[in-house]
Amino acid sequence: MTEALVSAAEAGPRPQDVIVRREVKRRPDWAKRGLAVYFALFLFFLYIPMILMAILSFQGPTGQLTFPFRGPIGIEWWRTLWDTSLFNTIADDVSASGRQSLYLSIVAGIIVALLGFSLSMAFRRHWRFKSDAVAFYVLMLALMTPAFLVGLGNQLLWRYIGETPSLWYTALGANVVWGIPFSFLVMLAVWNRYDRHVEEAARDLGANNAKTFREVTLPLVWTGIFGSFLFGFTLTWNDFDRTILLQNGYQAQPLPILIGTWPQSRPILPNLYALGAGTTAVTLALIFMVLIAVTLKLRLKGAPVRRVEEEFGEEIGGSLDVTHAAELTKK
Amino acid sequence: MVDQEEAHTEGAATAAPSVTHSGLDLIGLTKVFPGGTAAVADVNLHVDHGEYVVLLGPSGCGKTTTLRMIGGHEYPTEGDIVLDGQSLVDLPPHKRPTTTVFQHFALFPHRTSLQNVEFGLKMHGVGKEERRKLALEALDMVGLAGYKDRKPGALSGGQQQRVALARVLVTKPKALLLDEPLGDLDRLLQLRMRVELRNLQRELGLMFIHVTHNQEEALSMADRIVVMNEARIQQVADPLTVATKPATEIVARFMGDNNIIRGKVVEREGDRLVVEDDEHIRASVIAPNARHAVGDPAMVSVRAAAVTVDETGSAPGTLNSAECEIVFVEFLGDLVKLHLMTGGERMLAKVNAQEYPSLRGREGERIRISWKEEDGQLLDA
Amino acid sequence: MASSSTPDAARNRPTRLALGEVEEAEGILRQQLPEATGGAREGGRKGGWGTAALAAPGMLWIGFYLVAPLVIIILVSFWTWTDAGFDRSWTLANYSELFHDSAYWHNMLSTLVTSLIAVVACLILGFPVAYFLALKVQSLRLQVGLFVIALAPFWTSFLTRAIAWTFPLMGREGALNQILIKLHVISEPIQAFGFSTLSVRLAMIQLYILFMITPLFFTLAQVDRSALESSRDLGANWWGSFREVILPQTMPGIVIGSIFIFVLTMGDYGTVATVGGGNITSVGTLINSKIGAVQYPQGAASAVLLVILLMGAVWVITRFSNLREDL
Repeated sequence: MTEALVSAAEAGPRPQDVIVRREVKRRPDWAKRGLAVYFALFLFFLYIPMILMAILSFQGPTGQLTFPFRGPIGIEWWRTLWDTSLFNTIADDVSASGRQSLYLSIVAGIIVALLGFSLSMAFRRHWRFKSDAVAFYVLMLALMTPAFLVGLGNQLLWRYIGETPSLWYTALGANVVWGIPFSFLVMLAVWNRYDRHVEEAARDLGANNAKTFREVTLPLVWTGIFGSFLFGFTLTWNDFDRTILLQNGYQAQPLPILIGTWPQSRPILPNLYALGAGTTAVTLALIFMVLIAVTLKLRLKGAPVRRVEEEFGEEIGGSLDVTHAAELTKK
Repeated sequence: MVDQEEAHTEGAATAAPSVTHSGLDLIGLTKVFPGGTAAVADVNLHVDHGEYVVLLGPSGCGKTTTLRMIGGHEYPTEGDIVLDGQSLVDLPPHKRPTTTVFQHFALFPHRTSLQNVEFGLKMHGVGKEERRKLALEALDMVGLAGYKDRKPGALSGGQQQRVALARVLVTKPKALLLDEPLGDLDRLLQLRMRVELRNLQRELGLMFIHVTHNQEEALSMADRIVVMNEARIQQVADPLTVATKPATEIVARFMGDNNIIRGKVVEREGDRLVVEDDEHIRASVIAPNARHAVGDPAMVSVRAAAVTVDETGSAPGTLNSAECEIVFVEFLGDLVKLHLMTGGERMLAKVNAQEYPSLRGREGERIRISWKEEDGQLLDA
Repeated sequence: MASSSTPDAARNRPTRLALGEVEEAEGILRQQLPEATGGAREGGRKGGWGTAALAAPGMLWIGFYLVAPLVIIILVSFWTWTDAGFDRSWTLANYSELFHDSAYWHNMLSTLVTSLIAVVACLILGFPVAYFLALKVQSLRLQVGLFVIALAPFWTSFLTRAIAWTFPLMGREGALNQILIKLHVISEPIQAFGFSTLSVRLAMIQLYILFMITPLFFTLAQVDRSALESSRDLGANWWGSFREVILPQTMPGIVIGSIFIFVLTMGDYGTVATVGGGNITSVGTLINSKIGAVQYPQGAASAVLLVILLMGAVWVITRFSNLREDL
């Protein structure tokens, strides 16, 4: 009886079934080109101060604080950053400040990562908690309060208590406060991509809460934790407004303070520019290294298999081998 | 709503809440979420070992919540869950002899397939050599031994699902809970996996409890179907019964392809009732247990596949027959669905594909359809 | 059998969508019970304490290093400072001093103007950048890469960049003047470039514009592309689509960015001090000078007024968008 069906089907293609081929030209996207030019200009505008500073840092011994460029090109001014024997050396200050900044930043980064992570865990469990509104506003406060006021408040607080502020007690605390909201946002983004069922599967398979956390949760969110550390580190490394009011003159100044108060206490020479350019270069290098590491890691994960081919190649070759299944699950 | 006792038709185990010593028992299971909505209300069910039971229903009917309570991922407000005589309710998931296969597979993305499969064994303290061997065997069983070092991100949907299966089976659970396991697969793969999954279950002789909203899937795979709606069980029966003898209007509508004639009882002679609706369509049914009297409202359900086009020129008012206008002739390859309209009611007939050439293009015409009395089913509520 | 199935007859009946069946199907499907929310906690009841324990360290830290200091500032603004320490007698003298100090209000006003200019400028100048990155760049990797390149300066010390705005760029012998002279636009270097309001404002834009671009980028990236396409389909030109689709969906980003920039620029000290070189005052430098002169209560009072102003501004700006639900 299928012949009846087959013969009832259309004999040949209907007019609308015939495919017509046509050449289609791609219209140039003027908006995109214009915006790309704008973007390039924008980048230029953004980077030009640092570039200028870097240029000036390579001046010769007669270099001054501004243009025109007085050559010959050399790295004498850079050398004053670490060589204590040179005339214009600032090596001692630089190394002391650099160390101070480094230690402060590392510690701040660690604390920010821990606090931000545990805060985000709390939010994750009770998203619509009553007091989550309070917590939300507190975090907003931490983000929005002018840095300078945080510094001021801490100074007054310490004065009220009767102690003299030390960088480690005050500046560290204030900087961590600034870093926590950023860490929180990063962790929020990480948790959003996280599949809750993975934890349930782990529990299902016999892991208690602690093991689930260690084996499953932590490995999957460690990028967020590392990102939080980076945030805490760089924000502290670059901070000026908070720390400026919280130092006591006995300890080495962190780098930004050193740089920021320079014009008031010392003549501006190209070695300051070298210092500025140097610290900038370090930070930029750090960012790009992380970026490259992330890209490489993504590239190495291996491309997902193309669905159809492998799927059916698989199915035809080996489907579930049920003959041995029973033995496998026999107790 | 229907009393659970009456919802059960012949062939199904009774659901009288009694604690037997083998199998799974859900006793008065209820879950009310904060805010007052009841996701699951007084569910009673018994499942034997080796049975493939499918919880079927629209989204939000409570089937997934029920499954999660069995698995320990949700805590019941009331009721008990007993497996082989042991109450599971106070046990956390990792202490229960049940394992769950999740809809999106929930594989650990940072571990290879082999490590994924080994995970459960590792948690139970199995030694390194032993668990590697068992895991490889499990992967071999699902045909993925060559993929042991691949991470889930590098696997296709079907392969991920097989890894997920291997991962749970290797821990030798007493019952396997599947939460829409085929939902994430491409259609062609779904159809294929139905067969494979069912065969696997038969071979293993394990209790499978499978949640889905796909009627076809339920019919194809289940030993028994539990149709749920709005937190309650509507019917528990084998697939043939659910398909041909739906108990309630909800079941009839959800299974789809059922015509429902809603009217009043106009005649009653012993076990035979005649129900007539506003369009004067009269349907007769044999319903021995019906308590309806003449004048009571009643509903009769007729499967679309049991409806045929009537060319014999019957007069209007004939029993089990109706005159309709063709709204749409839907060609589906092997069969033709005739969408019809009579008065305000929609009706559906399924006919053989051979009739397509003679039906094609006849939208707007009137035809007569009819069915046999034994294909009519009186619905409760 | 009577048949009314000719095509003419069909056309005489008004066409209507058979909604009945569709609604019926939806009725069956429409059960909005909340399926499985949070995962089961062990035992099922101990949730609350765990959450509190997790949130406590962070909250305590912020409480001590942020909330307490702010409270102290408020308190100090009502006290007086003597050589022996804080005199805690309640007084409003600090505030009345400020209210009658026209220089203070002048300062406040000029800072406000600078901030507003910064917000508007950052918005106008930053929007095309975010638009380009979010909507015009196709490859995701390029998007992220360019975004990082644009964002990188934010990670460097803004002090360094601020200093670069003084002598090297805007000074009398700075690059800007040199170039303008070389291009014969001017014959003499313009003194007014460096250490001026202009340089401060330009520096602020450059330093803070990333706080605007980032939220804009994120909200623009989430704009529903199909809504854009459908609006073009329906005949809207670019401006129409922009107004109807992009702008409303980007509002949260605009609001956040504006708040950020406004608050940061109003409270800024370092940039103004460095780029302004002492010529330019802002609320921040004013407070600092009072602190430097050991006039703590007056400084605190100025700070409190600043905070009140900021809170008011934030409130105003957030009228434009419901942030809680968009975050």
